[in-house]
Amino acid sequence: MLEIKTLSKHFGGVRAVDELDFTVRQGEIFGLIGPNGSGKSTTVNLVTGIFPPTAGEIIFDGRDITTAQPHVTLDAGIARTFQNIRLFNNMTVWENLWVAQNSAEDKKATNLLSRWMGGSRKAKSQVEEYLEFSALADKRDELAGNLAFGEQRRLEVARALAAKPKMVLLDEPAAGMNREEVRALDERLRALKARGITVLLVEHVMELVMEVTDRIAVLNFGQKIAEGTPSEIQNNQAVKDAYLGTSGD
Amino acid sequence: MDYVQAIVDGLLFGAVYALIGIGFTLIFGVMNKINMAYAAASFAGAYVSLGIAQVVGLSGDFGLPPFVMFLVSAVAGGVFAYIVYLICFRFTPDHYELASLMATIGTLLMVDEMVVQATNGEPQNYPEVLQGIFDNPMLEFSEEFAIRGDLLTLFIVAVIATLGLLWVLFRTKLGLATRAVAQQRMAAQLCGIRVDRTNATTFVIAGVLGGLAGAMIGAVVGTLLQSLVVIPLTIKGLIVTVIGGLGSIPGAIVGGLMVGAFENVFLAIRGVTERDMYVMLLLFVFLAFRPQGLFGRVAVRD
Repeated sequence: MLEIKTLSKHFGGVRAVDELDFTVRQGEIFGLIGPNGSGKSTTVNLVTGIFPPTAGEIIFDGRDITTAQPHVTLDAGIARTFQNIRLFNNMTVWENLWVAQNSAEDKKATNLLSRWMGGSRKAKSQVEEYLEFSALADKRDELAGNLAFGEQRRLEVARALAAKPKMVLLDEPAAGMNREEVRALDERLRALKARGITVLLVEHVMELVMEVTDRIAVLNFGQKIAEGTPSEIQNNQAVKDAYLGTSGD
Repeated sequence: MDYVQAIVDGLLFGAVYALIGIGFTLIFGVMNKINMAYAAASFAGAYVSLGIAQVVGLSGDFGLPPFVMFLVSAVAGGVFAYIVYLICFRFTPDHYELASLMATIGTLLMVDEMVVQATNGEPQNYPEVLQGIFDNPMLEFSEEFAIRGDLLTLFIVAVIATLGLLWVLFRTKLGLATRAVAQQRMAAQLCGIRVDRTNATTFVIAGVLGGLAGAMIGAVVGTLLQSLVVIPLTIKGLIVTVIGGLGSIPGAIVGGLMVGAFENVFLAIRGVTERDMYVMLLLFVFLAFRPQGLFGRVAVRD
């Protein structure tokens, strides 16, 4: 579904991502882990077109999106969340979802009026569904900026879903969550998988990653040092070294 | 008492300052950049409506109804705003605010010069199309206090335009996209919003408001004089936005009314030649003691 081929991104002399290769298969939950600064978020930014890669290719669903702009990657079927939450803080919870929902609707809208003015009843009822899915129905009229941290993370995931993607890239969705919230997130990720949505999960919370993912790639200094099932990764010496810092400094 | 009259007149006229302030603030809101050419482009719209009225109208009196004058000015203001967007923003470097700032200052001076060329720098009579819609020319309440009918009309039109804008911003998907870009540009892009299109639309909306404001100023004052409108109203628009808080629409409304009242009071006290000096003073007072303006938040960006 998502093929990353010898992808590199250099910032000045820093090789944030260095000849990275991995493939995410349709319908799986793929984990991307690694120590801080190993290039995980850069990879997500490259895939979603925030900035172009220095070299390499990104193929999604058979389509070359290497240099695609963000709205094009969304059109292709990729939605994402951000490590540092980027909600529309002065909009209500409902409006946050409505923005994304509309982008999915408007691909079909042919005339300007339906694109610019109101929205269909069906579209509005779908927003309700995402509110339910994220357990935010009772917060619908709150401003997103006033939500608790865990709720904001949930809303961001819901907003990504409202764009009706084939694949979501979640950049540390469990950061700052308590144990109970992580468990709820775990269930939600499985529900996504059950709906046929492919997930790329960038995460530091290892219990979640090891529990929920099908396969994992481990990055260190922008390079992939291991790839495999959670149990394979847990027993991989290179991964242990990277996390204990013996191979780096 | 004189001051009550001055303040009420000023508040009513301040509605056009509010419109211009809203235009500045809208553009700043979505792009986080200042468009110095905004008011100039809007007044170019007013001059176009004047030119058309002179061509179409019968000699001596102007043959266009007020509605059409305003419509022409608003549409022309929107078109000019779009042109400003194309030449000063669309293709200038995104992360280099100075580039578009300098480009818009250049455009401001160019528009100013073009108006001078077109009018020989002379005042142009503008049809007083707002006269007579309410009691002509005054609604008299007492010996000392009356409301000018044309000012009242101007105020009502400005209120309707502002309500229309708020409706678009808060009740339509177009407005939703505009607010999304203003609040969180990158996330908006990743929600599928075309930021360049949203920016262009915002410029056009701001230009329409500006064109309308330009036509109404012409109609109330009775003349358009380049040296009194193009650059002075750019500066007043900026003062309004600074007072209200950059990016805040309620701020622009309150700021506009305040500037209107303030300048009229100083007009009454010190006369027309010193008036703008004190309005400028208001700018420095705000910049020194409340730089974020009345409604602005201290800027936080990641």
